[in-house]
Amino acid sequence: MPGTDKPLLAHLLRRAGFGATFQELDRYSELGYEATVDELLHPERQPAIEEDVLERYYIDWKESRNIEGALTESVYRMNAYAGGRPLQEKIALFWHQVFATGLAKVLHEKTMLNQIDLFREQGLGNFRDLLLGLAKDPAMIFWLDNNFNHKDAPNENWGRELLELFSLGVGMDGQENYTEEDVQSAARAFTGWTIDDDNVASIPFGKTPWLFRYLPEDHDEDDKTFMGETGNFNGEDIIDIVVRQPAAARFISRHLYNFFVADEPQVPAWQHTPPGDPEAIKILEEEYFRSNYDIRSMLKVLFNSDFFKSDRARFAKVKSPAEVVVGTLHLLGDFKFPKRGIYDVALGCRYMGQDLLNPPSVEGWHTGEEWIDSGSLVERVNFVADQVSDIQQPGVKAMVDTLLDGTSELDPVSVIDGCLELLGHVRLHEKNKTHLAGEVRSMLEKRSGLVAGSPEDRQATENTVLHTMKMIGSSREYQFA
Amino acid sequence: MTTEIEQPLSQKRLYRYHDVIGLLSAAGPGFSGPVSVITGPVDELYVANRASPKQPEAVRITRCTKEGDFLEHFGEWGEEPGQFIWVTSIAFSPQGELYLADESSNQISVFDADNSFVRRFGEPGSGPSQFDRPSGMAFGPGGNLYVVDALNHRVQILTTEGDFVSQWGGLGAGDGQLNMPWGIAIDDAGDVYIADWRNDRVQKFDADGKFMMSFGSSGDGEGQFNRPNGIAVDNDGDIYVCDWLNDRVQVFDQAGSFKDVLIGHSGMSKWGRTFLDANPDIEQKLELATQNIEIKQRFYRPVSVHIDAAGKVFVADCYRHRVQIYQKL
Repeated sequence: MPGTDKPLLAHLLRRAGFGATFQELDRYSELGYEATVDELLHPERQPAIEEDVLERYYIDWKESRNIEGALTESVYRMNAYAGGRPLQEKIALFWHQVFATGLAKVLHEKTMLNQIDLFREQGLGNFRDLLLGLAKDPAMIFWLDNNFNHKDAPNENWGRELLELFSLGVGMDGQENYTEEDVQSAARAFTGWTIDDDNVASIPFGKTPWLFRYLPEDHDEDDKTFMGETGNFNGEDIIDIVVRQPAAARFISRHLYNFFVADEPQVPAWQHTPPGDPEAIKILEEEYFRSNYDIRSMLKVLFNSDFFKSDRARFAKVKSPAEVVVGTLHLLGDFKFPKRGIYDVALGCRYMGQDLLNPPSVEGWHTGEEWIDSGSLVERVNFVADQVSDIQQPGVKAMVDTLLDGTSELDPVSVIDGCLELLGHVRLHEKNKTHLAGEVRSMLEKRSGLVAGSPEDRQATENTVLHTMKMIGSSREYQFA
Repeated sequence: MTTEIEQPLSQKRLYRYHDVIGLLSAAGPGFSGPVSVITGPVDELYVANRASPKQPEAVRITRCTKEGDFLEHFGEWGEEPGQFIWVTSIAFSPQGELYLADESSNQISVFDADNSFVRRFGEPGSGPSQFDRPSGMAFGPGGNLYVVDALNHRVQILTTEGDFVSQWGGLGAGDGQLNMPWGIAIDDAGDVYIADWRNDRVQKFDADGKFMMSFGSSGDGEGQFNRPNGIAVDNDGDIYVCDWLNDRVQVFDQAGSFKDVLIGHSGMSKWGRTFLDANPDIEQKLELATQNIEIKQRFYRPVSVHIDAAGKVFVADCYRHRVQIYQKL
């Protein structure tokens, strides 16, 4: 349907991506909503970024040796793909939040980044395959001690978190989803799933990759009873049983809803706290089983649903720090080609409370309003306000030119409405809009001595627009996706 | 000899692995992302360390003997005179001054025989004596400096003071055109070899920039490249090309025909041995990682190749923070 309403598309792109520029919204509008959803769900159909150029200039990234390098590389990639494959990056961010693994323990940056690549490549695919990839992921094995899970001395860390945090959750509808015996059986089934190398020393010649290795001689071959079934289960059997559980459908549906639609209570509360929108969760659960655990299918249903498109869902989520940083960079068109300075910008995520690749615990980050405290809010406001008012940024210049070119006279309402639209169809509360209109009016009145169309006049109107964008970027409303 | 493995031969048996110098280190004996290796005026090695912006103290030039004895390091990260950010290459002038290209500042800095900063020239832009990310550098027989000006897709000839002499190139894939070129080498006759990075080929020009020939195409077969960068020519006229993303160094004859390939056979370096002797727990872990044995020996993003008068081939093995050395047989 050509000419699809842009505020709805902007909503879609804020959730399935990191926001869209006004030029991108023009294109998506021509494409239509459902076709845009389809494009987003198939990032592999869009061009890849130029990895050779990236590696040429950020020569220290390929073998990152510090957490800042790994965080920066993640931010750069999210921004680089924000225009072409936004959902590839957003789903990777989603799984990084769910399967939270951290460099505080792993200490091997390339291995951590390989895990994020797994999420990029399989994050929209089959949930069973993704869990299997995760079970073999060296960073996860090390993070949850499965390299210490031996036939004669089981370690339950991975087996427990697989059930509690990665697939089922502790419980739902007031009931528990698994027993202690299930945890023990799961752990025994994954004995022998280990890594070849857990050396974290950079020297003498840099780090070498950690590789998955299965040691049959260290695997417990005895029968195990798991979720009511008994057999000589290996890890794959456990995952097969897990994904068949109604609790898995509930767990993944609530996570997708929480990340893409509206903030839910924190995960530990899910056993006793019903979903905010039970009907929506039911629809997603049904699609989980109908599609044979396919995440892409679930997201297709989600993005095309009324509960996602509804006015109630818009601006109902607090942006994560990664969304603030990457969304702003993308809007500005900055760092689309390697240059100096990306470290300082990317670390904004850390200062706002999201140290990517280094979550606070295996539970990941607490989201929603818990992103905000007085310190992180100041970081957010300063970051956005500084960036969106910098005329040197190509995206800012394009927005200013679009607003001013061919316009002979500006009034406060057209300046504000124009800026709100160009910044991604942002909504301001009427009270704030009225207050801002007063400021803009006084700035425009100061132009009265200038000759319309003169360079000084243009400069003055540019400054008015930049100030307006800065104020919008500083607003409470801008912190919502 | 500091290696612990037998000395293997290159694929066509024209080269024998000789030694390795290196150790990941931000100071003293060691390298951090070496991107350029050359012989100095008194037959010592100079190695430029690109390192990481998050570890600016590691950005430096290391000087050592060809037997792997550390002598000194100098230079530092920054934008002030004598400092540098994103070093791409170093080269010695016939007068013995060290030239260093910095693709962050778009300047070339000059250091004297005592490693003291003398002067610098260049600025961002696409005009004469301006640069957009200078990369490889070499001096011609006449003493002029040839600079690969990567994002201007050209080669500039400058005097040793940085004054513009001439240029050639331009973005494209035709004869004489370039696409983000990186490395440069000049033979005894003054002919110029350019690693035409994004065109996956090597182009040969005469001293004035007149196109002579090219060889190479995209791929990983013999004579094919995946983003060639470092390049050198030996006394026999053989051409060595770092085949960057294929993690190898290919050797060609004067006509551009494939002769041999080096893939890296690193053993343990003298500096590394010292470290492991003091940290036996790390050595034990390294030995346990049996799937990684071959990975540890091979080149990982070779960036720069240099041949000295004795026919030794020095390869800056960038991501492994070492220089692997081969002997031509």
